[in-house]
Amino acid sequence: MTETALSAKERVASRRHYRRLMFGSIAVAVVLSLSLRFLDYPLIGEAVYWLGIVGFAAAAWLSPVELFDERDNEVERRASQTTLGVIGVVLVVGASASRTLAALDIYTMPAAVWGALYGYVLVFVVFGVAYTWVSRRS
Amino acid sequence: MRNDLRERRDRADMSQADLAAAVDVTRQTINSIERERYDPSLELAFKLADHFDCRIEDLFFPESAD
Repeated sequence: MTETALSAKERVASRRHYRRLMFGSIAVAVVLSLSLRFLDYPLIGEAVYWLGIVGFAAAAWLSPVELFDERDNEVERRASQTTLGVIGVVLVVGASASRTLAALDIYTMPAAVWGALYGYVLVFVVFGVAYTWVSRRS
Repeated sequence: MRNDLRERRDRADMSQADLAAAVDVTRQTINSIERERYDPSLELAFKLADHFDCRIEDLFFPESAD
């Protein structure tokens, strides 16, 4: 994907165009997929959903320009930190409350809640692996 | 970090979109830098200084440099 042939204005227009394609394909696919599921066409809905995923990836891959600049990456980094912080608090407080309430025979959390909490644990495990991998390459 | 970007861009009679295109970032990035909400990378700071034909320290200065 070479950028050299594009003028500054073309780069800006191209970035806007491909970003719209990326997010538009996902948005349209999700809406269509949900509608088809609602209309009792679950398999066609699933196919449309995957078309949207492929469209998203294709737009990112085929774009002749960088779609996200350094500020976009910084915003994403800060948002990720905030997300992990929120998940961390929910995990620490939620797990402790669940154990305490169960030990006191006050309330036993449904299995679905524990499933969600274990899902959060998995998020931190994946983060730890990703962090280790990235830090070793930096 | 404080910066002189808005003044220099006005003097050069450029819009944020023009400057963004010139250094290949989004207009929102230029806007954030001018509002001192985002400190650019060294690479982008060099690009901006190069564009305005000045040194980085002519364009960006720490809060303490009052």
